[in-house]
Amino acid sequence: MATLHSPVVNKEDNQKISTERLTPQTAYHVPLWKALTGLIMSYVIVGAFFIAHGAIGFAEKGVAARIIFFHVPCAVLSSIAYFVGFFYAARYLLKLKSEKIKPFLDDYRSAAAMELGFLFCLLATITGSIFAGVQWGSFWNWDPRETSIVVMLLLYASYLLLRAANSLKPELRARLSAVYAVVALVPAQFLIWAVPRILATMHPTTTLTDPRMTSLSYKMVLYPAFIAFVLLFIWLMQLRVRMMMLWEQHRHNAQQTMETDYR
Amino acid sequence: MSGSLWYQQAVALWRKDLRAELRTRVALGSMGVFALASLMLIALSMLSLKDEVFVDALGHSHLAWDNPAKMALLWVLFCFAAFAGLSHSFVHEESTGTAQNLRLFMSAHAVYAGKLFFNFTVLGAIMLVITPIYMLLTGMQVGGIMVFVPIMVWGGMSLAAVATTVAALASRAHTSGALFGAIGLPMLIVLLVLIMQAAKLCYSAHIDTISIVKDTGGLLSYGILIITLSALSFHFVWED
Amino acid sequence: MKISLIIKQKQVNNHSHFIPWQQVVRTQTGLRLCPLNTLRLQISNLGHRYGGRKLFQGVNLDAAAGTVVAVLGTNGTGKSTFLKIVAGLLTPWQGTVSLSLDGAALTGEKRRHIIGMTAPDMALYQELSGAENLEFFASLRGLNPDTAMLRSSLEKVGLKGRGRDLVSDYSSGMRQRLRLAVAQLGSPRLLLLDEPSSNLDAAGIEIVESVLNQHREAGHIVLIATNAPHEMEWGDVHLQVAQL
Repeated sequence: MATLHSPVVNKEDNQKISTERLTPQTAYHVPLWKALTGLIMSYVIVGAFFIAHGAIGFAEKGVAARIIFFHVPCAVLSSIAYFVGFFYAARYLLKLKSEKIKPFLDDYRSAAAMELGFLFCLLATITGSIFAGVQWGSFWNWDPRETSIVVMLLLYASYLLLRAANSLKPELRARLSAVYAVVALVPAQFLIWAVPRILATMHPTTTLTDPRMTSLSYKMVLYPAFIAFVLLFIWLMQLRVRMMMLWEQHRHNAQQTMETDYR
Repeated sequence: MSGSLWYQQAVALWRKDLRAELRTRVALGSMGVFALASLMLIALSMLSLKDEVFVDALGHSHLAWDNPAKMALLWVLFCFAAFAGLSHSFVHEESTGTAQNLRLFMSAHAVYAGKLFFNFTVLGAIMLVITPIYMLLTGMQVGGIMVFVPIMVWGGMSLAAVATTVAALASRAHTSGALFGAIGLPMLIVLLVLIMQAAKLCYSAHIDTISIVKDTGGLLSYGILIITLSALSFHFVWED
Repeated sequence: MKISLIIKQKQVNNHSHFIPWQQVVRTQTGLRLCPLNTLRLQISNLGHRYGGRKLFQGVNLDAAAGTVVAVLGTNGTGKSTFLKIVAGLLTPWQGTVSLSLDGAALTGEKRRHIIGMTAPDMALYQELSGAENLEFFASLRGLNPDTAMLRSSLEKVGLKGRGRDLVSDYSSGMRQRLRLAVAQLGSPRLLLLDEPSSNLDAAGIEIVESVLNQHREAGHIVLIATNAPHEMEWGDVHLQVAQL
């Protein structure tokens, strides 16, 4: 029988849990794309220091600029993560409305994306601040992109705070945080697109959009770096969702044991 | 026994809230005192900045404590005042147990609309009183009145919309007071940036159509989007 | 998990809608005619749980117009939750509640407008007077609340002359009376009463009983959640909500 507060309610998800997600995977059975993630990431780490030439016009003969292979993918992911979180939050609400089921899996996915968004946002802020310290002489300049990423960080933090405040009621928590994710899409959009454009910025805006601005050795590392980070994001998100489901399963089992003990 | 329409219900809720507010003055009192106190604080602490001049990159010198700066601090004041009082609307209904009756009698849309307009009314009253006093104390000028008034009205509406939505979310949690400020402020910072951008128009000499669209468009669309998304998803917050 | 539906006398008007114009309703005092409508409350396999705790499961009910159902069960079995689900305030964990009038299912606003409810945790506005509370809720129902209407509905629950006092000055019995008045606004076809005579004196209990009889005669459905013996007496049908 389906139960409300077990992680999933519909049959299809239930099967997924029992067959795919909860079976411990053996070391011999690494999916191809995960191996690929490891390979590309290793290539990026090596390439950042040995393939790419020092960037022209940057501090420390361009050596410091090597941090952008990690800073830029993190910054991009911190924006993408919000869209992923928003997508699953909206899907959660739509399913709740139309099918009258409790699609907890979407709630977990949304929460996992937001947590990773927070993580990558933090990494982008730290790496950016280090680079700013070397390049511009000060670790914090109130550049519009710096401002917007800090507010973005606050936005992620308040989402997580809202979840933490309602952790005792999983169903209410899922609804409230989904609504917050949907409504906060508006400030998130302004932070990602509008704020860096309406205020004057020191960040280069054409590095990614104009291929002529970067040399071949940079492209050879930067583009794989994007692929590696996106794959890493998917991998981490999968792990986090699986962890949340196991945790919920554990909580549910504990409750059931308690119920039978008192009977 | 005919059912009433949602906007009739919203007006009834607005009237009820206004009547209760005029009797108890919880929101008006707390916001008013908060706003007046911080107004004094701003006016006093900015006294030393009065004749400060800074030179920009092009070599022009400006007054540091100029009209846009005064406008920005006025809106900071409004934001904090709104967050001191506007959570009352939902938290009071939830904590006294009257929310159940509203759920039984009203549709979620009507509740959102009624609360939004009540919050806008209270905030508007505070703004009407505080703005002239602030202008007297700091010497802030209106600038272009055709830009100033719409910015004040629409900025107030957007602020009320953010506060209403966040109050509804926070009122469902037990630690509503602390949560309200924490989850609302990131949304307000973006609103403040947009308001300040739009407010520059009041004081610029050459206003062309492009800059009006660019600078007020952000503020306008922010308010509209927040209200639309909140209205669409409100019943997920309100109903069990 | 077993739910027993105890019918006090005989099966009540299960086929009553086949009788033209009027329907027969069996009450404590015997057979009685009541106006024809086919208001029907059908609850099938209703169950609810909070967190991992089961409250009740598999509750069934089919009540026709003019029935007073006493919902019974010990403390903590979920009588109040049951009423909230019927009122539409809570989404049940499983099962369905359907309310239909003349064969057409009522949903959304239509459904909302024919339900009245009192419960101990449904508070009224303390900062408003009794009459202002009534006026507010009446205007939500789309009624036109004039002085005469407010006065008569206050008089009906024995609050004559106290309408102008703030609810914060009311005693707990007076608040309960005002709740009854609010629940009856617009003469709802489905009335849900959660412990209606708590805090009430003898006169107040009589008022509740007369309210019940009025609704029964008007062909409405009333559900009372109760543990008090005298309230159980009022029910034509007893519905046991329990975890056995």
